[in-house]
Amino acid sequence: MAQDRFTGVGLGLRRPHLEQVARMEGHGVPFWETCPENVIGDGGRYHRMACTILDRDPVLTHGLAMSVGGFDSWDEEYLRDLGEFLVRTGTPWHSEHLCFTSVDGSCLHELLPLPFTREAVRHTISRARALQARLPVPLLLENITYYAELGAKEMDEADFITAVLEGADVGWLLDVNNVYVNALNFGFDPREWLSRMPLDRVTQLHIAGHKKFGDLTVDTHGADVIDPVIDLMQWTLSRLGRPVPVLLERDNHIPDFDELLAERARIQHAYDAALVPSEVRHA
Amino acid sequence: MPESRTLRLQRALASLVLNGDEAAIEADPGRVAHQQGLTGSDLRSFRDQGPAMMTYRELARMSLIEPLETMFPVLRALLEGAGSWGGCVEAFLDARMVRSPQYRDIAPAFLGWLAATRWGQDRWPFILELAHAEILEVLVARFPDSNPLEGLHADPGPQDLIILDPATQVVSYTHAVHCACSESPVPEARPTHLLAFRDGEGLARLMELTPATAALLVQAQTCPLAEAAAALNVPDLTPVTSLLRDLRSDGAIAGFRSFP
Repeated sequence: MAQDRFTGVGLGLRRPHLEQVARMEGHGVPFWETCPENVIGDGGRYHRMACTILDRDPVLTHGLAMSVGGFDSWDEEYLRDLGEFLVRTGTPWHSEHLCFTSVDGSCLHELLPLPFTREAVRHTISRARALQARLPVPLLLENITYYAELGAKEMDEADFITAVLEGADVGWLLDVNNVYVNALNFGFDPREWLSRMPLDRVTQLHIAGHKKFGDLTVDTHGADVIDPVIDLMQWTLSRLGRPVPVLLERDNHIPDFDELLAERARIQHAYDAALVPSEVRHA
Repeated sequence: MPESRTLRLQRALASLVLNGDEAAIEADPGRVAHQQGLTGSDLRSFRDQGPAMMTYRELARMSLIEPLETMFPVLRALLEGAGSWGGCVEAFLDARMVRSPQYRDIAPAFLGWLAATRWGQDRWPFILELAHAEILEVLVARFPDSNPLEGLHADPGPQDLIILDPATQVVSYTHAVHCACSESPVPEARPTHLLAFRDGEGLARLMELTPATAALLVQAQTCPLAEAAAALNVPDLTPVTSLLRDLRSDGAIAGFRSFP
């Protein structure tokens, strides 16, 4: 199966590293994650380098601006291009965020929270199903960080996410850092939270760094991953009992590629340790 | 069909992010919810979570403003010197002109807004040219790749048309905006002609042109080279064809096609 190619800890393909990565075949990164919005319709030197890598190495795709929970009509032309891109990369699935990013045609370029309401669940299920019908590969939805609840809630975040994933019958891109950050901001136990969730739907994990600003912790993707988040990843992998791919996100304060490779290796070590069968661990 | 509560909540959050009147929003984050007809506990949720709601304003505006600061450093220096950069950005965001999900389209959307609204042009008649010049190389560098044009030949003849590479732009400004910099953001009033193109490595290059060369590169796209040269009082085609060969070799010109 194509999915079997995707295990271990991959990296996001970032512009500052393209030249180096395009020249290196033995980089040791098991897969890359790329944002189609940044590649489709682009051109020039960096685009060509990105395409060289995407045509050479295993790739997963992760969208930023589909506004799955929004109301704006789909850009059918873009969706056709996206479908062709997904086929070209050979990605076994495509992920988007469980959020909205545009309103009345105005793009906000931020992952904004959906109301935790029954109406929003129904709406988002309908949108996710419509999007899935337009894609050539299975759709995953990713849980986001949120800093405020939008409107009066009728359920909590865990129930909202579960209802959408189950109702839309899509996979889950579980961002463990987002769970950790939300747990800090809203005061809950992340392991307890995860124990309530449909972990059988988890197809991929995200892991990243975050930063505290006063009382608020923000998912910045701009720092090394802290040990408690790595512990949560390991706990999740142990619960899953299967080697789902983990993507280390780094979008701000992007370090040199060699430094990022070292951070990847650190996470990979933790990943491998979490997946060692317990009888081997205790032998 | 009545608008759904979900849509009204989303519109309220979008207004909280994009509306210009920060002081009023900060004083009462519930005001945007009220404007969307939200009441009761939905309205209270905006008010009760005020600081957290304002985090969204800060984060989203940071995402939208960062490409402007990166792509228009000279314009920013010019307007900051006059205390107007913040007002310009506010007006742009308030106009809700970012309609593309592609992050790279934010700066071109700002340029489009400057052109459509003529913002600041009474005071700075060169402002649009300055902004255009600042993103010209990026627009050329990232112009969508396409398949090579077919049926073109390499050597220009008198009856040929010039076929520019799709990424190439010939631009004319009334000011030397390409010479402006953050330290000296007011450009000299001097007619300026530029050729922006992508070289063989896919990198953008900028070349200043004489008025005659700029005119030739434009006119010979629609009428034969010899005719375009004659109209510009250039009797000898030898230096012209030599230049055109060089430009083709550099990547600015895709090739030449016989006039039909």
